[in-house]
Amino acid sequence: MPSHIVVPAVHKLTPDVAKLFAEHYHTDPNDDDPQSLAWSQRLAARPVILAADAGMTGGNFVVAETGSFVVCTNEGNADLSATVPGLHIATLGIERLVPRMADLGVFVRMLSRSALGSPITQYTTHFRGPQDGGEMHVVLVDNGRSHRLGMEDFWTSLKCIRCGACMNTCPVYRRSGGLSYGAVYSGPIGAIIDPTFNERKYSTLPFASTMNGSCTNVCPVRINIHDQLYKWRRVLAEHHELPFVKREVMNMAGRLMGQPKLYRAAISGTETALGVLPRFALYNWLNPWGKNRELPHPVKQTFHSWYKQNRLKTKKKGEDA
Amino acid sequence: MSSRDAILARLRDNRPDPAAHPLPPVARLGNMDAGRARFEKSLALLGGQVLEPQAGESLSAAIARRFADAKIICSAVPDFEGTVRIEELGTPQKAAEVDVLVVRAPFGIAEMGSIFLSEAQLPTLNSAAHLTQHIVVILSEATLTANMHTAYIERPEFHTARYGVLMSGPSATADIQGVLVRGAQGVRTLSVWWEP
Ligand code: SF4
Repeated sequence: MPSHIVVPAVHKLTPDVAKLFAEHYHTDPNDDDPQSLAWSQRLAARPVILAADAGMTGGNFVVAETGSFVVCTNEGNADLSATVPGLHIATLGIERLVPRMADLGVFVRMLSRSALGSPITQYTTHFRGPQDGGEMHVVLVDNGRSHRLGMEDFWTSLKCIRCGACMNTCPVYRRSGGLSYGAVYSGPIGAIIDPTFNERKYSTLPFASTMNGSCTNVCPVRINIHDQLYKWRRVLAEHHELPFVKREVMNMAGRLMGQPKLYRAAISGTETALGVLPRFALYNWLNPWGKNRELPHPVKQTFHSWYKQNRLKTKKKGEDA
Repeated sequence: MSSRDAILARLRDNRPDPAAHPLPPVARLGNMDAGRARFEKSLALLGGQVLEPQAGESLSAAIARRFADAKIICSAVPDFEGTVRIEELGTPQKAAEVDVLVVRAPFGIAEMGSIFLSEAQLPTLNSAAHLTQHIVVILSEATLTANMHTAYIERPEFHTARYGVLMSGPSATADIQGVLVRGAQGVRTLSVWWEP
């Protein structure tokens, strides 16, 4: 399960990655330098790509006018998957359709600056047909989207371009981390679309909000996320026994708080991302919420790790004396 | 009814009234500066470089200086030799052995420092642009377009190419604890050589 739609492994710290790579790629478990970890990843992935019979990609946008689809990535993995094996299979959400090629400019400009604060992704690739000697197949994915289009209060969530800005700004997401949502889509956007997949399973998500509206303010396609959160509460209350909802409300937090290790990982992951995400991504004209307010500072050390370092030691010393 | 028909029927039933959502006019927004200085600034921001000739040196001399250890230099342009021609590589996988690919882009985008490549510039081997370790892109200042709007509105390649990539600097990742690393799965460096 990804913990973020743009940076899916943001809850993993470099030592976690070093351990994982040591296990699978036989690298030095003590080398937790992101630069050399990324290099090991490159070396490990190349043979897999070279030997693959098919490559799969997603797609960020689909253009009705030309029948093209657009894939935006930074690593280059999508372009390698599409051009090295002879067979390219792309799965595309049907809601990503824009009418004309000339409309793409708006969306490409919005995506990466809302996602990471960079002007554009390193790769923006336009596929309109198979390459010479190859095949290209497209799978159009509905998965409830055509149904959602008919939900008067909620259909505008289909405008989402999956930039993740609402997650980056959300105080609940930033404290609890993406894994606590228990769904592929986490954060504010997850909280309003997950219930369309399974109302009962995700019934608690719309309740985990302070209604501060920060998500709505940063959303580049202006989805009224916090209004929809409120409307979902009404729908869920009508569809289910309220006690059920009430009983389940604390589940999300409970799951996380009940597992200290997971909680600490979530906290330090979120804090690191906060420290790294450029201010420009968090405070810009799209985010009037941030204009007069300061987002919580990423702390250098959590209380837990400070306590472990200082108090536990002192206590031991005291016992010795 | 096939699932495809079922989905299409549901979309027709459920779609908001098209009259309430007319097609907006095409947007042509932002800074219209299509200059070289703007391009170079954006290119640097995304981790790309300009390969500057020293004392009037040729492209091959500049490549030999910049990529001193490179053994296989692949050319996709008629006016540069290299050690191998892209047409000779044969299979997409073969491009993995290339150290430096030299290619000519039909245009660049000043706003993003992006260069465009399609199957027309990579004759039959799109993979060469990604499997090679380093890429050197020959670009003419006269082909720069101001921004994403002008690019999509004016460039015919977006309607004709089957594979068209805008590369903005080299591959990169921030997947490991949010730390930016340049040189991920694709090219490790991207350099622009200005057409004299
Ligand atoms: S809801 Fe808006 S802010 Fe959130 S991911 Fe989608 S487009 Fe981005």
